Amino acid sequence: MVKKKKDELEITTVSEPTLIETTDYESNLRANLEEIKKYNGVVGYILRNTTSASIDLKDPAKIIDYAILSSTTFDATEEVSDLFELGTLKNIIVNGKNVKMLSLTVEQNKISIFMENNADTEKVLEKLKAS
Amino acid sequence: MDNEVYAFALKNTLDEIQKICPDIKNAFVLTKNRELIASDGDTPEKTITRAVNAFEEMLEKAQAIGGVEDVTIEGINGRLNVSRLDEIYLVTVTSKQADLDYVNTVTHVIVPTILRLMEKLSPAPLKKNPPTPDIEPEEPTVERDEEPETEKHEKQLEPKEESETILPETPVNQLIVEDLKGLLAPSDTIRIDSTIIEEWNELYEDRTIEEADIETFGGKSTRCKVKPIKESKLDGQGKIQIPSKVQLTLDVKKGELVRVKPAVE
Repeated sequence: MVKKKKDELEITTVSEPTLIETTDYESNLRANLEEIKKYNGVVGYILRNTTSASIDLKDPAKIIDYAILSSTTFDATEEVSDLFELGTLKNIIVNGKNVKMLSLTVEQNKISIFMENNADTEKVLEKLKAS
Repeated sequence: MDNEVYAFALKNTLDEIQKICPDIKNAFVLTKNRELIASDGDTPEKTITRAVNAFEEMLEKAQAIGGVEDVTIEGINGRLNVSRLDEIYLVTVTSKQADLDYVNTVTHVIVPTILRLMEKLSPAPLKKNPPTPDIEPEEPTVERDEEPETEKHEKQLEPKEESETILPETPVNQLIVEDLKGLLAPSDTIRIDSTIIEEWNELYEDRTIEEADIETFGGKSTRCKVKPIKESKLDGQGKIQIPSKVQLTLDVKKGELVRVKPAVE
């Protein structure tokens, strides 16, 4: 287990995600994230709550970059959501040239899933909502 | 062409888009460097500045995934979309009832077309190193399937060489596809606004327009008989009713844009 500190975000990288709390909801969410990780084209995920972040990415070299992107996306989104009165956020999709990121907030958890552009976003979203 | 003209053209484009898509609440255009070029009249500049500032870092950090092509933020009351179109970012905010296929079809066709048109009229000031404009005359006959869609549209807007029998320039209308159903509906007839047919007939006084050429942005085209729309609620709405068989031929569906022009030869 490696601990790094960057941009006030405490990142914990793990070979297998660690269980921080043992509520049914979180256990279910983590189980679903593990299943999502096996979906075609999914390259990993970041699960963040108020105190820590669990990151599971196929390419460890991307951990810091993806974590910062996820974090700044949530911050930017909160601001523009207020500005344009979008209401409670359902989800955010950032399509990049190489990879796309699906982010959403469920209770205290901020989740970002990274996947290849041809991956099925709807399938991932449905699985997350089922948590 | 200076930036003011660019901004003016884009502002008018955004205003027109909002007229045909009332579900677009806010719209503005930024350069790749996140400088505001144009916005609709209703969005305060202060709001746009704050939004741009909020996006600034995110767009920068998105280099990790190859740079942003498109961002969609969906809330329970509406949706914000940032689309990269060549050298600009188009930002639209739509209400939750918005038909997104329709909104995307309109914005992703009209804005790039206007940008390309302006680039063609004069090199774009928005680019640091604008490409040298192609000054070679274009062939009158074109390989339609090999052209980018926006270029095809531009060619239609360019003046055409006079033919031996001098005819007015063929008007081209962009219309939104609607289904044409019914047992008695002929499969080779499309229906469009009666005013468009009247305009065509006025333009070609000595002819009666009975057929029209329909062209998709994907490059497919066909000729059909043309008649006015019967349903009063659809007339005057910029719609074109197309039977399913013709929709299949053209590979289009309800809500998509097609170009229609009178068949005069």
